[in-house]
Amino acid sequence: MSVVIKNPEKSKWYLSGVMGGLVITARHMVTNLFNRKKMMTLNYPEEKYEYSPRFKGNHVLTVKKDGSIRCTACMLCATNCPAECIKIVAAEHNDPTVEKYPISYEIDVLRCVFCGFCEEACPVDAIRMGPEWQTPGINGSQFIYDINHLAYRPQLKGGVVSVVDESERHKSGI
Amino acid sequence: MPKCTINGQEVEVKDGSTIMEAFSKLNEGIAHYCYHPGLSVAGVCRLCIVDIEGNPRPQIACNTVVTEGMKITNKSEKIKEGVKWVLDFHLINHPLDCPICDQAGECGLQDQYMQFGKYSSEMAEPKVKKHKVVDLGPTVVLDSERCILCARCVRFTDEVSKTNELGLFNRGDRTEIGTFAGKPLDNNYSLNTVDICPVGALTSKDFRFRQRVWYLKDSETVCTGCSTGCNVKVYYNKEGAFRVKPIYNEKVNGYWMCDEGRFIYQWVNREFRLLKGRKKTQGQNGWQEDIEAGALAQDAHKAIKAAGDKLAVVLTGQYSTHEYQTLLKNLPTKKVYHWKNHPEKWEEFDGLLNRGDKNPNTKGLVKALSEASIKTDWNELASGIKSGAITTVIVAGPENMAVYGDLEEKIQMIGAAPQVIWATACKSNLFDKFSGNVWLLPMKSYLEKNGSFINHQGLEQNFKKATTIVSEALTLEEASYLLSGQSIPLPKVPSVDTFIETNRRPDQVTLEHRKKNEFVYKRGSL
Ligand code: SF4
Ligand code: SF4
Ligand code: SF4
Ligand code: SF4
Ligand code: FES
Repeated sequence: MSVVIKNPEKSKWYLSGVMGGLVITARHMVTNLFNRKKMMTLNYPEEKYEYSPRFKGNHVLTVKKDGSIRCTACMLCATNCPAECIKIVAAEHNDPTVEKYPISYEIDVLRCVFCGFCEEACPVDAIRMGPEWQTPGINGSQFIYDINHLAYRPQLKGGVVSVVDESERHKSGI
Repeated sequence: MPKCTINGQEVEVKDGSTIMEAFSKLNEGIAHYCYHPGLSVAGVCRLCIVDIEGNPRPQIACNTVVTEGMKITNKSEKIKEGVKWVLDFHLINHPLDCPICDQAGECGLQDQYMQFGKYSSEMAEPKVKKHKVVDLGPTVVLDSERCILCARCVRFTDEVSKTNELGLFNRGDRTEIGTFAGKPLDNNYSLNTVDICPVGALTSKDFRFRQRVWYLKDSETVCTGCSTGCNVKVYYNKEGAFRVKPIYNEKVNGYWMCDEGRFIYQWVNREFRLLKGRKKTQGQNGWQEDIEAGALAQDAHKAIKAAGDKLAVVLTGQYSTHEYQTLLKNLPTKKVYHWKNHPEKWEEFDGLLNRGDKNPNTKGLVKALSEASIKTDWNELASGIKSGAITTVIVAGPENMAVYGDLEEKIQMIGAAPQVIWATACKSNLFDKFSGNVWLLPMKSYLEKNGSFINHQGLEQNFKKATTIVSEALTLEEASYLLSGQSIPLPKVPSVDTFIETNRRPDQVTLEHRKKNEFVYKRGSL
């Protein structure tokens, strides 16, 4: 229960408090105008904050040297994902050394909690979490990233190459 | 009846039993690959070694006969060490591609490794390369690198299916499973080899890559493929049913089932099913779609009431016994006819499991009809429709329409009646052939209800509901209550697919990326 205490004498003098506040605001405005280096805030969206390259932002599907998808559709990431937001449809590949590959790979990024478990589960470095974090969209379906977005979006400049290279393995026979 | 002691427990076994059988009698765990209770003993994997007291060397349990007073253990340090090394030998050339292997999650090698292995490999030599993705026949794909050469599949085609397609070729670590002179593995029991293969060497084309096994739930039920009624396990998840595997029943199917029965599950999935009621009124063009099943059945009740004694019922042997009994109790007519699909083939038998009568419950229907003392002849139905003595026909249509080759002919014959109420689980274009008033009632499939089938030997087998695939469908029992004007609580229908429809994209890979990915590559000879 709250009790409202009315103090008509004191509230008559509110004007000095309001003025005091305006003075502080004006002082900051003037310092920011003439000394922009000391400014605490960023002029988003013109200025952007740079996180460390290890920042775990939006997912990237890596590619092989020939530019095809590295993912083997093993679904370990989907199994490990606590938010159950990865959906993969696997299919048989014509090339027997590839055998299995995803014909559809979707991440519902609005459900994703950016825990990085998918990245950790992947046996072939096929999924990574990149430094991107600004990904606006105008409706729900734009937040369901499909395979083309995850692997070949323009920001990736032709795809990120995976560190696991199977062609070596096939050559040496191990 | 010799007695022996296994890990300190005494057990009495039949004369001539092997140590392996004694272990399974006690439900004691023992590592093994090549032993299968439904096949002969090969003794090739050497994993089932046990210590027998007084015997200096370990013996294999699957091929050693129990003698009186034997003291056997597989818990000693020597055996544990031995199993570990045998396992290491099995893994020398194994590719360990578990992530893309369909067997992962139910793999004998993974299981045994977790139980007995857990070491790091001591092999530095390159692995022997063998053929991968070998097309063995219309149903099975072989990956020779994963094969541990237990020869279960070879023994199966040799002893059970007696088709002898598979064999072991080459020697030593170059041995491979294969077919001789290009003769494909093509028989009605071929997919059993996939079940008994303890690793992911044999995979089923039908199931390959469609699901990881840990996303599937299973439920035991009875196969509806023919009147044998094999006991099976259906694997399903919320997207529908994915595969069927046999379970052991000595009286019915032993360890096996036929391939024909394995594909029955497909008919229960949503894409083949009638999801909502449909109605066609004479004179009107096209169907009234999306009618709630319960409301449609109540609507059909009016037509049944008006028909009075001009009502006839046609039953197929595809529903459970209890459904027939309730239906016959609820509907006040003696004009009940048994629709037999190709009865001339009903006595056929392939010598193993598959029978010519492709209905799971013909005996149950015959029993329900004789209980209700109904004796009719199919020809009466045709003449009744012609003469106008029958104006309204209720048909409990087949669930598995593929085995009803006479479907079109029967639809034409029954469609001559002015009003037809057809209960069906699956949709079909043939229903467009009806000219009079038609009510199409969506039915539940065998996975979605409890019930029992009586198989060809008169054995009554109960099965229980596994899952719901079409939530609005009715069982024949529910339909019969509604058709006879009684009211029952109707199944609640959840609104499906409330999420944005644009989420569904079938294949997203653009052609350009696909081309890059799909160069056809041949690995050359070994
Ligand atoms: S980051 Fe975590 S929640 Fe997001 S997709 Fe990966 S595993 Fe799932
Ligand atoms: S991204 Fe990695 S873990 Fe996920 S399916 Fe592809 S290969 Fe498997
Ligand atoms: S057979 Fe078993 S161990 Fe071998 S790759 Fe398949 S799942 Fe892994
Ligand atoms: S293919 Fe499977 S069943 Fe056949 S020998 Fe190899 S491991 Fe055994
Ligand atoms: S199970 Fe005994 S040797 Fe294979």
